[in-house]
Amino acid sequence: MQNQDGHVVESGTETITSIKASEIDDWENFRDDDILQQQSAIQAEEAGKIPFVGDKEPLSSLAAEYKSGNAILVEKINVLTEQYAAIRRTRGDGNCFFRSFMFAYLEHILQTQDRAEVDRITANVEQCRKTLLSLGYAEFTFEDFFGLFLEQLESVLSGTEASISHDELVQRSRDQSISDYVVMFFRFITSGEIRKRSEFFEPFVQGLTNTSVEQFCKSSVEPMGEESDHVHITALSDALGVPIRIVYLDRSCDDKGSVSVNHHDFTPAHVTNASSGATQATKPFINLLYRPGHYDILYPK
Amino acid sequence: MTSPSASSRKALSKIACNRLQKELVEWQVNPPAGFKHKVTDNLQRWVIEVNGAPGTLYAGEIYQLQVDFPEHYPMEAPQVIFVPPAPLHPHIYSNGHICLDILYDSWSPAMTVSSICISILSMLSSSTVKQRPADNDRYVKNCKNGRSPKETRWWFHDDKV
Repeated sequence: MQNQDGHVVESGTETITSIKASEIDDWENFRDDDILQQQSAIQAEEAGKIPFVGDKEPLSSLAAEYKSGNAILVEKINVLTEQYAAIRRTRGDGNCFFRSFMFAYLEHILQTQDRAEVDRITANVEQCRKTLLSLGYAEFTFEDFFGLFLEQLESVLSGTEASISHDELVQRSRDQSISDYVVMFFRFITSGEIRKRSEFFEPFVQGLTNTSVEQFCKSSVEPMGEESDHVHITALSDALGVPIRIVYLDRSCDDKGSVSVNHHDFTPAHVTNASSGATQATKPFINLLYRPGHYDILYPK
Repeated sequence: MTSPSASSRKALSKIACNRLQKELVEWQVNPPAGFKHKVTDNLQRWVIEVNGAPGTLYAGEIYQLQVDFPEHYPMEAPQVIFVPPAPLHPHIYSNGHICLDILYDSWSPAMTVSSICISILSMLSSSTVKQRPADNDRYVKNCKNGRSPKETRWWFHDDKV
């Protein structure tokens, strides 16, 4: 909170934050609506600082963030700079993994105009639709979300009436009425894949929350704002057949104290090369930077 | 509650309107057991009759649920309350507000009015005692200004009543 300088916060927030700590001995003095108002003021402030999807920034902006910070992190960012050129930040609202994936994927299609990939993912999306129906989801609960994603996919291909520019893609990613719907589309896809292969996912889910797969999907996948873990990433990557690289920026280092940046590639169970029909390990074109609790988009050199 | 909540005051968006019409058709074809939608021309407020399930503490009792849909349904949760007199239940306040996570933090667009109804009936059916929440009087007093349960920061009780 930047209430010290008093410019950013709403008036409702100030009344709470200006009370001396010694006076806060009875929390019942704070009415829920005051607190909720404060929470939404904080959210609005967060939104002002960073849109759903930010601008592309050189990786040096990440280095600047840690200039006087932890030595391991500084060293890791140096290593990262050898392979990556830029970062695009996303808002930390619990949807950052899905939002990052959305933008990185659509931007990739916009830039490569890879129609074979669009045909491939469209077939996978159709498969996911059947999965949800077979799991008992009513079609009306998900069809609007599917429709909106397919519309975005269509619009990043040039030569159609609906074609959009890169600027327009950025605008749409920041427009809640589109961006949130696409995030929710990915949540449906992820939940469907986890439920369909519940035996496979069960041990991982248990490792995270000690609940059933069903309950996990209901409380940690389908509601907006629920953060993503390796279970979500594996499921989304498998369901859509899109490999994802996650680069980890944390304080870990090996015994000898030498620093390297770890990454993990999520490779879909069945990636087939559309032209040759052969199964092959595709190099991920989605690169995300993970810092504990948050994902941003990375751009390789 | 006669005054609509802040979130439902705005007209439904086009996408919300579409979705609700589809939900209504689905409800008419396949209504959840124990519930009856009372037909009105108001798509934004549904009034639903609830029959306590046989063999439970609420068997034979009839209550009314009022469901108000916000502009951005289903991205935002509907507001669901019992029209007083509300059932005597440890998670239901005498003003009709219901303490149930899926109506607030755990809402997802994957849910429907029908799935909410089923959750509420299951909450009623699993109750072993007919009583109000311990903080009923204080909570209801705080709501006197007609505020919506969606403006409450809920602390969810145990699943088992």
